Amino acid sequence: MPPLRPNSGCGMLNLYLFQILNGLGLGMIYFLISVGLTIIFGLLNFVNFAHGGFFMLGCYLCYALLQLTGQFWLTLLLGPLIVAALAWVMEKTLIRRIYHLPHTFHILVTVGVALILQESAIIVWGPIGKSIPIPEALQGVVIMGKFAYPKYRLFLILFSAAIGFILWLLLERTRFGALVRAGSESTEMVSLLGTNIYKLFSLTFALGVGLAGLAGVLSGPIRGAQPFMGPEVLGIAFVVVVIGGMGSFLGALVGGLLIGLVQSLMTTIWPEGASLMIYGAMAAVILLRPYGLFGRA
Amino acid sequence: MKRLMTSKGLFGGTTLAVLAILVLLPLVLPSATLATEIVIFAMAALACNLLLGYGGLLSFGQGLFFGAGSYLSALAMIHGGVGLVTALVIAIVAGALIATFVGMLSIRRTGIYFVMLTLAFSQTGYFLAYTLSKWTGGDNGLLDVPRPGLSLFGVDLVDLKGAHAYYVFVALIFMAVYVGARRVIDSPFGSTLVAIRENESRASAVGFDTRHFKMLAFTLSGAVTALAGALYGMLINYVPLDNIAMAMSENIVIMTVIGGTGSLLGSLLGAGTLVLMGEILSSIWPRWPLLLGVLLILIVVFLRGGVWGGVESLIGRMTRKDEA
Amino acid sequence: MKRRSFLKSGLAATSLLAAPSMLKPAFAAAPVTIHGLKSMSGAFASYGQFAEMGSKLAVQDFGPLLGAKPEYVTIDTEGNPGKAVRKVQEAIQGGAKFFDGCTLSSTALAVGKEVAKGGGVFMTPAGADEITGTECNASTFRWTVPTYGAIQETVRPLFKAEPKKKKWYTITPQYVFGDALLTAAKDVFKDLGIEHVGNSYHSTQEQEFSGYLTNAMAAQPDVLLILNFGGQASNCLRQAISFGLKKQMTILIAWTAGLDWFQSLGPDLLEGVYLGAQYWHQVDNPTNNALVKRVKEVYGITANYPLAADYIGTKVILEAIKKAGSTDGKAVAKAMEGMSYDGPTGKEMIRAQDHQVIKDYYLLKGKAKSEMKDADDYATLISSGQSFPQGDKIACKMV
Repeated sequence: MPPLRPNSGCGMLNLYLFQILNGLGLGMIYFLISVGLTIIFGLLNFVNFAHGGFFMLGCYLCYALLQLTGQFWLTLLLGPLIVAALAWVMEKTLIRRIYHLPHTFHILVTVGVALILQESAIIVWGPIGKSIPIPEALQGVVIMGKFAYPKYRLFLILFSAAIGFILWLLLERTRFGALVRAGSESTEMVSLLGTNIYKLFSLTFALGVGLAGLAGVLSGPIRGAQPFMGPEVLGIAFVVVVIGGMGSFLGALVGGLLIGLVQSLMTTIWPEGASLMIYGAMAAVILLRPYGLFGRA
Repeated sequence: MKRLMTSKGLFGGTTLAVLAILVLLPLVLPSATLATEIVIFAMAALACNLLLGYGGLLSFGQGLFFGAGSYLSALAMIHGGVGLVTALVIAIVAGALIATFVGMLSIRRTGIYFVMLTLAFSQTGYFLAYTLSKWTGGDNGLLDVPRPGLSLFGVDLVDLKGAHAYYVFVALIFMAVYVGARRVIDSPFGSTLVAIRENESRASAVGFDTRHFKMLAFTLSGAVTALAGALYGMLINYVPLDNIAMAMSENIVIMTVIGGTGSLLGSLLGAGTLVLMGEILSSIWPRWPLLLGVLLILIVVFLRGGVWGGVESLIGRMTRKDEA
Repeated sequence: MKRRSFLKSGLAATSLLAAPSMLKPAFAAAPVTIHGLKSMSGAFASYGQFAEMGSKLAVQDFGPLLGAKPEYVTIDTEGNPGKAVRKVQEAIQGGAKFFDGCTLSSTALAVGKEVAKGGGVFMTPAGADEITGTECNASTFRWTVPTYGAIQETVRPLFKAEPKKKKWYTITPQYVFGDALLTAAKDVFKDLGIEHVGNSYHSTQEQEFSGYLTNAMAAQPDVLLILNFGGQASNCLRQAISFGLKKQMTILIAWTAGLDWFQSLGPDLLEGVYLGAQYWHQVDNPTNNALVKRVKEVYGITANYPLAADYIGTKVILEAIKKAGSTDGKAVAKAMEGMSYDGPTGKEMIRAQDHQVIKDYYLLKGKAKSEMKDADDYATLISSGQSFPQGDKIACKMV
């Protein structure tokens, strides 16, 4: 069933252009969610099924810190830092013990962590979701013809792009980045360079998980906070990362945008099939290009 | 048949334990229905164990086979009017075929890529079941699934309406599956599978067609899981969409791991632990999945052999002391 | 060696069997026991906790029944239909006959079949029309107004209040429940001469609505009718408002979960939005006033939909047992058919033909924060009324 009544061709074109803008906004959030997962996989060869759980924690921290401080910018800074700190501790006490095990065991442990996060969120904040207000400075819409686009979403696109750029600088232009990249080739080599590889691992894990927290804090005003949002977000993150290539920064960006655009355009073309398309695309990529669009074997 | 009866070990040791558990379960538990659920999920966990414990393959798509088994057997009974045995055979064959198809495409991939592929296929299955609501009932589920009596060649043998009768029927099937699985594992096929798990490149260097072996394991696992799904549909006279959802796949894996990978008896312990945890803890503390999360972590970090592995090493220590 | 493996077997068996001996429960013969099916753990825990409060309160306050105080037992459905059905089977084997609850439509449908087989009585507030429609049976009763009534009692009064708003757009979750709401809406549109300028279907897993809202904007409707519910309705509304839709058009959510859902959204989002509801604590009648007061006393909260629904569902079963003077399932079901009573929505009646409770459905309108008289005063009552399929529109063929 066509969602629109007969409309001028120009109107339809506008609609598609606008859906592309929507897709861009969505895609940048997906990028933020996925990039942490891919960085952790790249260096640590570790599969983190708790990534969605940390995203959820980010959403709830956005709610709690806003209640506490009333300051969005402070929340945006503190929320991800708290998530990253938690990840840092977890890496030192738990994750470190299981790096050497096969992926299977990574998955099982982090499924356990995700369950703990989910139930803890219910204990602390209750089973009913929480709404999070859009910060005052970013309320309202930008009018574009007969469409309107929320200022907050525009901010999200720009902010995520800036974070992406900073991350790229961090990974490509700093000593830390060089070590991370070298580490994903060969951990021995980094050790030979005299770097404490364990410290590097902890930092990378905290960074990756912190990014999930950041994505959560940013998504809070759009999605609210709900205890059961983790698995859905995890699913999307994995689809993005697998399509882009596990461990590839560029893959997360392109994969995120691709999924965001496909999902957004599908809402106009064939909404019922959106999730089928996404998982179908993932299966096709693994079968045809096993290491994703930008991954290396 | 004769060889089966006389073959050594098959009826000793753990097989005896399985038999003992199957006999005691309905006596100790408050109902035979609960016992039936445990045994059905134990069957699904056992099939998952064939892959994970013996082949090193973590499939996150077992729900696809479970769901397909329950939907197809139920539809055959409702629309085709087929009997119990035919419905179960349909489930087994369908499970094997679907698994073969999924296996053909997934087996080459390893690690996380294999996991993601199986996940993608099972999500596709979920979407299909959700969309084909004329047949599956979609979100409402498929209602009025019959539980016909056992009849052979038109002769009615046993009525399975009663909870105890159905338990005995399911337990007998489980025993048959268990003995069959043990035979497979003790055969050269089984040891090859383990060799592949331990070191795939060496196994293929020795001249095994590793892909062929993994495929067979996958097909077998799909068939048994679908059988479990069909029995579950008949137990609750209903096929909820949840049967083919991701949570089902996840639960099957969790049961397998809790019980102990690489031990078929462990599957029974794992299914029992998870089902009873839900049964006992949910009435005491609704946040019990938190404890499940802790348990999963503890098992991977300290007790990679699962519950059965723990029991085994405990007994090992005790008996050694005895002998000393 | 032999001894060791024997020991192993024994230990394995006992390790599994030792734990559950404490399970032997609860189904022992008490005078009258109501079993509440509540999603205490799992994804619908937010609903289950209130529903349980409702059933407990109804049993606790009932007084002696057939010579003894009635008892109450919760069955945790774990938000999982399979578990729910299995636990109901067990309860029935243990002699249970009277059941109330079930959040999930799928669970309610399947549980209804089991209770019917066991010859019991089951009252549910679930959403699926099939319960008192195509899948109706002698044992199952339903308190909630069906999709037909929810649309009639929201679209009509809204159109009456704002008759100039003639172009409507719908957003619908694509499954039986959503389709039922949409079909009902289309019928009313035709009847009132409303132009249906478009519909967006979405999957039941969707949480991102920007694309659908864009479709809606493109169609430039006067009213946006949202037909999903729960978490999806939260995100749909939240995102619609961030896209500025509230300023451009009237928004109606036909099927809301009521107060607890309003609390999770807050007044800023709800202000000016039209909301359909099965129950509202401010409705003024003696039974409801008493219930609201009692709930505040016992639980310290304002009565909400899950609580009220399971309270009255449980109470009606108890009343029917009293009326029948026996715990025979058939007799109690018979006593419920045609029964009239004072419920939280006023006079309520159980229609014998399809076991549907005939009761009011409400149209509310969200208040601004500044107008709220207390913390739970989220909405103004706009209208109430009863609309149910009649005559050959009743899909139930009771056997």
